[in-house]
Amino acid sequence: MTEGITMTRVIDVAQARKDAKPIEKNDVVFDIQKLTASYGRQPAISDVDLKVYRNVITAVIGPSGCGKSTFIRCLNRMNDLVPGARIDGRILYQGDDLYASGVDPVEVRRRIGMVFQKANPFPKSIYDNVAWGPRVLGMRKDLDGRVEKALRGAALWDEVKDRLKKNALSLSGGQQQRLCIARAIAVEPDVLLLDEPASALDPIATSAIEELMHELKRDYTLVIVTHNMQQAARVADMTAFFSLDVDEGRRTGVLVEYDGTAKIFTNPADKRTEDYVTGRFG
Amino acid sequence: MRTAFQQDLDVLEATLQEEGELVLRALRGAIKALETRDEELADEVIAFDDDVDERYVRIEEGIQLLLARQTPVATDLRLVLAILHVNLHLERMADYCVTIAKLTKLVPEVDPGPRFVEGFEEMGSRCEEMIKIALDSFGNRDLEGAESLVDLDELIDRANRRVVERIMELGSDPDMREYGLRMVIVSRALERIGDHAVDIGEQTAYLLTAEFREFTDASHPSPRNA
Repeated sequence: MTEGITMTRVIDVAQARKDAKPIEKNDVVFDIQKLTASYGRQPAISDVDLKVYRNVITAVIGPSGCGKSTFIRCLNRMNDLVPGARIDGRILYQGDDLYASGVDPVEVRRRIGMVFQKANPFPKSIYDNVAWGPRVLGMRKDLDGRVEKALRGAALWDEVKDRLKKNALSLSGGQQQRLCIARAIAVEPDVLLLDEPASALDPIATSAIEELMHELKRDYTLVIVTHNMQQAARVADMTAFFSLDVDEGRRTGVLVEYDGTAKIFTNPADKRTEDYVTGRFG
Repeated sequence: MRTAFQQDLDVLEATLQEEGELVLRALRGAIKALETRDEELADEVIAFDDDVDERYVRIEEGIQLLLARQTPVATDLRLVLAILHVNLHLERMADYCVTIAKLTKLVPEVDPGPRFVEGFEEMGSRCEEMIKIALDSFGNRDLEGAESLVDLDELIDRANRRVVERIMELGSDPDMREYGLRMVIVSRALERIGDHAVDIGEQTAYLLTAEFREFTDASHPSPRNA
């Protein structure tokens, strides 16, 4: 069975495993400090401290209502659009306060793109869907090249290159979701936020999205909210587990544990995490 | 709550403990057959291995199903992996009992003296104690108990060395030499059973601490045994 394998080779393999690149924790994209997000008087998440690292996939998992979506919507100021939404604490993006006065939320959302649970292409051509963002932002130079690059980046180019003028709604669900990813990366963001991007897709389309995420992390920092724990285990480098604190009938999302995905799924430190990932929650 | 999953895990663990009990019976039978030169009992021990194998296969199949259908993680994952290893160690122990029974049938009619039998009695009872501790510490999630197996194993290793020394003193009579050669293997089989018990202890430690580590090995002897 071990014929041909020398001891040197065995030692090399052992060494290579030891040398496997650890997550680069120096390069912080988001430094989230004491973040509390409320709708009206009710905090949805409370006192969240967390750092998101560059070119890393960070998964956010937790039971329904624990504030996962609220949390990632804070990262590109999407909650600004919700009446009564309020943020306390700080989110530093590349060292700058994302919520400081004078920060343009539109520019924030260009740099920090978002893909939603349900694919939401515009009822326009495939081309126009991808070209829309660059056009609005005045990035008109070599628009064709930009559209192709984004579609290639979203692993969709080969499937649609001959029908770019066709209506985007003619694509399958999985293709539509990849189109939304192409639309998000066409404006050259720095970060992609994905809120349950594969929950409405079949296993093959889900697998395509997960493969794509592995590709995308070379160029982008990704934060994914997912209900599917195995998806988090498969794609994420870091995993944040949120849970619900219930106090006098009030339910508030809290960050319970944040660590390498391998640690969360083999030996979590907190019993609440253990109970959730092993399915003993509730 | 994943009730069905928990039940599957409980059944796997119970079957593992059952397999352990069978190994203990096989070991007692093998030692008794050796001491009394009872060929009939030796045959029973050999046939009894099928019972152990049946549990072994049942556990393997159960784990295969559990991994495919339940995707265990965290403590559950470690428990399933540990059961997979412990299962193999128990099955190997039973195989060593078969080896002892087979050798019992092969030895020529010679009288090596009572010290020999005493040596095997000692090794056999130490093995039995180690298997019990290994199974109990696994079942009770007892790290201290699991780690205590290292010292007990050292006692078996010493007994093994003593048996080998006695074999060297058996003289040059061909029957005696054949007997000696076969008994070297018996002694070695018992010594290996002790090693497998320590390995089960290491699985208990893995289950509890999530760290893969050998309690001791040839290239890194523990300080107390160095």
